Amino acid sequence: MGRLFIAKEDIQTLIERLKEGCDEFIAPKKEHLSDVIFADTKEAGGELIDYEGNSVISPRAFLLPQTEALFEIKSIKDGKFFPIPDKKKRIFYGVRPCDIKALILMRSFFLDEFVDIPYKQKLENSTFIALSCNRLCSEEAFCCEMDAGPVAKEGYDLQLTAIGKGYLVDVGSEKGSRIIRNNKKLFAKPEPRDEKEALETLKCLAKGCKRIDFKKLAGMMNEDKIKPSVWDDIGLRCVVCSGCITLCPTCSCFSIADRVSGDSGIRLRYCDGCPYSGFTRMAGGSTPFPLHKDHIRRFFEHKLNYDVGRYGIPSCVGCARCINTCPGNISIRKFIEEVAK
Amino acid sequence: MKLNEYLPVPAAIKDIVDETPDTKTFILQIKGRSNRVFKYKPGQFLMISLPGYGEAPFTFASSPSKDGKFQISVRRVGFLTNAMHKLKEKDIIGVRGPYGNTFPLDKMEKKDLLFIAGGCGIAPLRPLIQHVFSTRGGKNRKDYGKVEIIYGCRMPKDRFYKKEIKEWMDEPDTKVYLTVDEPDQTWDGACGVVCVMFPRIKLNPKTSMVFLCGPSVMIKSAIRDILKLGFREQNIYASLERYMKCGIGKCGHCYIKGKYVCTDGPNFSYTQMKKLGITS
Repeated sequence: MGRLFIAKEDIQTLIERLKEGCDEFIAPKKEHLSDVIFADTKEAGGELIDYEGNSVISPRAFLLPQTEALFEIKSIKDGKFFPIPDKKKRIFYGVRPCDIKALILMRSFFLDEFVDIPYKQKLENSTFIALSCNRLCSEEAFCCEMDAGPVAKEGYDLQLTAIGKGYLVDVGSEKGSRIIRNNKKLFAKPEPRDEKEALETLKCLAKGCKRIDFKKLAGMMNEDKIKPSVWDDIGLRCVVCSGCITLCPTCSCFSIADRVSGDSGIRLRYCDGCPYSGFTRMAGGSTPFPLHKDHIRRFFEHKLNYDVGRYGIPSCVGCARCINTCPGNISIRKFIEEVAK
Repeated sequence: MKLNEYLPVPAAIKDIVDETPDTKTFILQIKGRSNRVFKYKPGQFLMISLPGYGEAPFTFASSPSKDGKFQISVRRVGFLTNAMHKLKEKDIIGVRGPYGNTFPLDKMEKKDLLFIAGGCGIAPLRPLIQHVFSTRGGKNRKDYGKVEIIYGCRMPKDRFYKKEIKEWMDEPDTKVYLTVDEPDQTWDGACGVVCVMFPRIKLNPKTSMVFLCGPSVMIKSAIRDILKLGFREQNIYASLERYMKCGIGKCGHCYIKGKYVCTDGPNFSYTQMKKLGITS
């Protein structure tokens, strides 16, 4: 299916129809402090059709929530454990290309070798409508350099690109073309000048951007060619606020805990991560990574070095959420620029 | 859809053996028909759940048996293990697995074998030692060369599997060296860390295989000294311990340089360990 066009006034109609066919419509919304976050707007409404910048928290939180039940403990005494099926149909609207790229990475991770069923069942029942970027969301963002923006190349079901009078629509999957087929009257063929307009914007955005040679960077990290003082500095600045791992769209580490009362309860997993000193601490108290700088190094190396070895691409998408939130001004972008120079 | 890998199956405690003052061996059997967990190989581990207390990895401490029973040895060191020590016969716990890799069983054939264990590090090596001494699976003792076992503990009372170790001493072409860090009146054997026994090793270092497990300081110093004797890096295998929450390469706790100790290990050759930049 070729590129299509939807007029501004028809988008709301489309959204209303999509809401009818899903259990959760997860879309950008302004919260009380005017920050943009993703929220379920199926009943509550208030979704933003278009928005500036990117959401504070990535939509990852709906697929890998801060805490999530893994299964139900029906009886501790008898050892009865039951899965908790999640059959909710979710539509994600207005997801930025960097977060779409992050979803591709998360999919390969969670569906690799041992399949993570709690993640898989949510992912497979979800539809992703991307909204490409017309300008950089923050001064720190470097999605173009990381090949994750301003337009998603794959991983979406539909992708919207804003132009003056509406949106260009790219179809990325069967799920996407089904939406088009079911709402035929809302879509039209774009005029050549509309496509030209989008192309011009894209050109402006990508101007001066230099793709990062991530293989070279990974190679340098692999051969331990980075000055040890760089890690020392990073370690000194980190205050273990865990903002980076909380906001990162590709962070996936977790811990487990039980919540029981009497003979029953649930086992849940909660987001955890490498900055915490207890992350690698074993029973008895010893840890293979006692130094703080090694915890942050692990974060950087995982994304920029080891994942390049495993998946062929880094798992940093340049969304800059970790940079903007860091109280110690640690910048993965600066790190890349300084090292890859 | 595939089974939820996080879901444990119930297992009953058939028997509990007091191994040392702070260690118990649990003899377990799966309840019902889930026999998947039985098909494990020496060196693999399983996840043990005690609902309300959480879940942790434990190595299989016995080689697979016909009746489906398997053993884990649990030292009382933390929240979960303290709770486990309060369990009684017939109590039910959750288990899932097996996970992780096995020792290079094929590579071991016809070779002389050296086992070095410290403290509870004997547990992961025990299924392997039993495998060598057993006559099951179409193999027997003649398929392997000489065997030497070096086992060090803090005190004489901290030694695991006391009765079985005596039986190992009677196996043909087998030597067992025991040592303790802090001897008491009952002890008339060797004193010191495992490395003090190394001069007694009679095996040909160039062709023998070495299997280690123990506290990280022990693994580190034992590998250093064993290399000095001429044993080959690629023939040295260690079973490593890491904090793990899932056992299936997802939770990230045991991640080292792109490898997961739970799925790529827990048994690594020293050549692999060097690549990962770890010594223990």
